[in-house]
Amino acid sequence: MMKMKITLVLLAAGALCAVQQAQAHHAFAAEYDVAKPVTLSGTLTRMEWVNPHGWIYMDTKEPDGTVKHWTVETSGPSQMSRRGLKKTDFVDGMSLQVKGYQGIKDQSLANGRTLVLTDGRSFYIGSVGGPNDGADK
Amino acid sequence: MPSIVPALEWLEGLAWTTAIRESAWGYPILETAHVAGIVAFAGLVIMMDLRLVGLAFTYAPMTHIQRRLFPWQMVGLAASTATGLLLCCIDPLRYYRNVFFWVKLVLFTLAGLNALAFHLKTYRMAERWDEDPHVAATARRAGAVSLVLWSATIISGRLIAYNWFG
Repeated sequence: MMKMKITLVLLAAGALCAVQQAQAHHAFAAEYDVAKPVTLSGTLTRMEWVNPHGWIYMDTKEPDGTVKHWTVETSGPSQMSRRGLKKTDFVDGMSLQVKGYQGIKDQSLANGRTLVLTDGRSFYIGSVGGPNDGADK
Repeated sequence: MPSIVPALEWLEGLAWTTAIRESAWGYPILETAHVAGIVAFAGLVIMMDLRLVGLAFTYAPMTHIQRRLFPWQMVGLAASTATGLLLCCIDPLRYYRNVFFWVKLVLFTLAGLNALAFHLKTYRMAERWDEDPHVAATARRAGAVSLVLWSATIISGRLIAYNWFG
């Protein structure tokens, strides 16, 4: 009887963990398309170094010559600081490259995963819940 | 009616609100304190509500339980409200534009009014049924309503993080 109870509790706990796992990915999956990876090279128009998530605003040149304005979500100040990034690394007008995933509804929105600066330094700027693509390694 | 947005923009632009919004430690600490305050407050309110609806502590007089819980409920309320107001101050436009924030405020107000009505009216007549495992119907109802409204307040508060309709 006791054993059965313990088994049931463990099963319930396992089910809860599974639900938790699914939900942890929900915020990413609800807004961004993991099937649409993008690599954006362009110029920084503005960076919002804010909690709970930061935002990179950048312009890229489309193949037809027009300029596209992107909004890229990043992780928060504490996560980016831990990876060695500083607010002062972002200067309006500088060149940068961002790898990430495009938004589902908003085609000019992206979830940033990797940031590459012109001096060659590269940083993980993704947040928890993104795909397991190795960007954080 | 003049818009409140310019005032919120002014608040957002202040040096101290900007410093917390951009901080590596200040914001996580503030958020954690907010949640800790909610846990203390709601946890103790739920204990009281469970006694009211007759699901727990029915062996003890209702007022004995409430007398011990009340001071700590108020500590939790003070902590969560103070940190909540601070969180609003450091990012006012984000909350102004978030539908779950307004849903939460409405639910918070309703839950507060329910608690106030209980303490000012029903609780004052507690001697009559204090030791009964099953308290008066109005008190049972107040407990049930409290459980639902505070839970809904917390859930909508959590949902502020997801900009589904923004």
